Amino acid sequence: MNSNIHKALREISKSGDFVQKTITVQGKLLHFSYYTSLINHEQFHHDLLSFIQTSNCEIENLDDLKALIPIEGIKVSSDLKQISLSLTKGSIFLQIDPHFNEGLLVDIADLQLGLRKNNNTENEYSVIGPKVGFVENLDTNMNLLRKGMITEKLIFEEHTVGSVSKTRIAIAYIEGITNPQHVNTLRQRLLDLDVDVVFDSSILEQLIADNSKTPFPLLLSTERVDRIKYSLINGEVSLLIDGSPYAISGPVTLFSFLISPEDYYLPWILGSFFRLIRYFGVAVSILGTSAYVAVLTFHYRVIPMDLLGPIIESRINVPFPPLLEVLFLEITIELLREAGSRLPTKVSQTLGIVGGIVLGQAAVQAALTSNILLIIVSLSALASFTTPIYKMSNTIRFLRFPLIFLASLWGGLGIMLGLMFILGHLMRLKSLGMPYIVPLFPFRHKDFSDSFIRSSFSLTSKRFSFTRPLSIKRYSVQKNKDTSDDYDNE
Amino acid sequence: MQNQVKENYTISGFFVFFLIAVSQKTGIVSNFQSLVVRDAGQDAWISVMLLGLSLHLIIWMVYKMLGYPAKDVIDLHRTIFGNFMGNSLSLLLVGYFFIISLFVFRTYIEIIQVWVFPTTQTWALAAIFICMIYYFVSGGFRVLTGVCFFGFLIPSFLIFFLYFPIRQGDLQNLMPVLNHSFLDLLKASKSSSFIYFGIETLLIYFPFLKLPEKTAKWAHIALHYGTFEYTVLTVVTLMYFCQGLLKHTLWPSLGMTKIIEFTFITRFEYIFIFLWLMVIIPTICIPIWCCTRIMKRVATLKPRLSLPFILATLLIAALMFNERMNIDVFEKFIIEMRFYFIYAYIPFIFIIYVIRAKIGINRK
Repeated sequence: MNSNIHKALREISKSGDFVQKTITVQGKLLHFSYYTSLINHEQFHHDLLSFIQTSNCEIENLDDLKALIPIEGIKVSSDLKQISLSLTKGSIFLQIDPHFNEGLLVDIADLQLGLRKNNNTENEYSVIGPKVGFVENLDTNMNLLRKGMITEKLIFEEHTVGSVSKTRIAIAYIEGITNPQHVNTLRQRLLDLDVDVVFDSSILEQLIADNSKTPFPLLLSTERVDRIKYSLINGEVSLLIDGSPYAISGPVTLFSFLISPEDYYLPWILGSFFRLIRYFGVAVSILGTSAYVAVLTFHYRVIPMDLLGPIIESRINVPFPPLLEVLFLEITIELLREAGSRLPTKVSQTLGIVGGIVLGQAAVQAALTSNILLIIVSLSALASFTTPIYKMSNTIRFLRFPLIFLASLWGGLGIMLGLMFILGHLMRLKSLGMPYIVPLFPFRHKDFSDSFIRSSFSLTSKRFSFTRPLSIKRYSVQKNKDTSDDYDNE
Repeated sequence: MQNQVKENYTISGFFVFFLIAVSQKTGIVSNFQSLVVRDAGQDAWISVMLLGLSLHLIIWMVYKMLGYPAKDVIDLHRTIFGNFMGNSLSLLLVGYFFIISLFVFRTYIEIIQVWVFPTTQTWALAAIFICMIYYFVSGGFRVLTGVCFFGFLIPSFLIFFLYFPIRQGDLQNLMPVLNHSFLDLLKASKSSSFIYFGIETLLIYFPFLKLPEKTAKWAHIALHYGTFEYTVLTVVTLMYFCQGLLKHTLWPSLGMTKIIEFTFITRFEYIFIFLWLMVIIPTICIPIWCCTRIMKRVATLKPRLSLPFILATLLIAALMFNERMNIDVFEKFIIEMRFYFIYAYIPFIFIIYVIRAKIGINRK
């Protein structure tokens, strides 16, 4: 053990922002070691330096000094490893001159520096409902959740992940509702993990997901606070990660990704209708262009005579087979989407107009594609954006490409083969060990009240059974609605 | 000797409905109507119904034999015939199930070649199906049950399209009722018996059901549903076709769907054939799974090893049937084989089982 920690620290950190200062108070030399980029300077000057410099007490040893400083959690330490770790987390190390073998660790880290204070859920927008989203700070996120659920049963279990990043993560669940099995699975996977830097929750999501050979997201990631609250209250376990505005939640099913919080904010009839529209959107998005390829390559007999005319007319000058025509347009749309999401907002709006309208029209006029295909492709692109969770909408957009190729090979049979393959794949997937496409298979008729449609709140008083919650009942149904008609009573 | 299936591999007992119902659906796209009409004429639907009802007895036997405690036919063979004989008999079943899946497989490829892609090579179609089958079977029995579940549910709506042939059909074609002798009806039943088969795989996957004895009703309901479906289909076919034409029609059901027309779709039989893939895949997969299961239980061969081998054999065997005549002969053979398996072999082992059980009780 090095007895002169002051010197040892100097040798360990060659970084430019590592500062060692010495001041004289009442004839004593005080040495400070800290990372100037990490500490809160205001706190350093107001709460630390000013108290030490203006005090009249004798400073003989570390305990005197400790009593002087009005900050909690001051530790006396002589362990070099612990000191250097604390310093890299934003502590300051204080030593009195001749005693170089120990010192005080004062935590004055500035964790808010450079972080935004709020997030407007712009990526998962809903017209109705709260628009507060998670931010990059774990404490803020826990605060947001805790404010919305006033119960001591809400448990945050903190861990550290990442050998370099030492990212703080918090497993959140509600005691007495969430099945401990899920918490254990999640905790075990996190503890077994070896990763250097956790940049974002999506990295953790991929690392702890049950199966990585799949395009489907196996855990839900969202920036909406209300969505995580809903997951928690339904018996799921969530994961908050410092530095990421996206929280992860699981176990989920395929159908969880098509639920938007807005479904619950609208009357159930409208909510159900919009949800069905979303399912229709998925179908159009996956099948639209591949059906076009299949029909025009092989099964033109399926189209009635009256409809065949316009299609032939619009395609009469197109020199390519349907496959090339479709690929050309689909890839254009993908390029537009990719460019749009990489460019600054203002540029991307202009680009959308240029790309979407000008390119599309020009392509038709140049007889590179047919008008009808242009409609189908833009419709299916539009439909894919109705999926509320971005990761799932990416998956859905991706799935059409294998289907297009299969359709160009085997027509309708190819599409069917592709769909069967997807179905088989979905049946083999698991989310935190739970099957991915309940309530369809395994069949759970009770969960259907909130799957394809969002039934009224009187029918959804029970939690989803696929999460295996410890208590199934959420609330009791109130029967105080005034639905009586005059007819019986008049 | 008892090989208990772990609970996390089992399926809830009511899924036996889908497992049976799906394998019974395959016969819908076949020439059973033309076979049954040869002997029973306009009374064909009675034969079809009788046949369906008679199978309840077989299902009852299977449940009696295999229940208390749940076991599969391999265990049963061993207790009845001793280890060596029993195992040999079980291995024969591998061949039986293989032939069944080969039949379903080849007939569907034929339908595709005749109706949709006349120029496509058999090997190409067969190869892509084989990949598909491998993916499903290697997923395990629960995945297969899922495929059966969807394979039953999604094509089920097709029954409503019978409205179109009914609208065109003539009820007079069914008259006079019951002017055939009982023997003729039975003969007709026998010739079309293959449509209901699919219950023999129950002999292998029985221990995979949770509480199988209590859920026997679902097997019977599945059979009921099948009987209902086939009877309705036969009635509609008889109404739609005249008997002379029907005798020479290879796929009467497809012929009937041909007339369905909407404002945005004509030639509905394409959709029908493609959707039928959902029925065909599970019906091929389950016998294949049974083959690998028997091999695992009898020869302790790992399914991962036996499955590619079986599928390769399936591919080669499917390529050998390249003419309608061959398939015809094969079909006749299959019908005979399955008929005797269901109506002779299962009652046979049932009787032996009952006698043995009686003797066992007396000895105690």
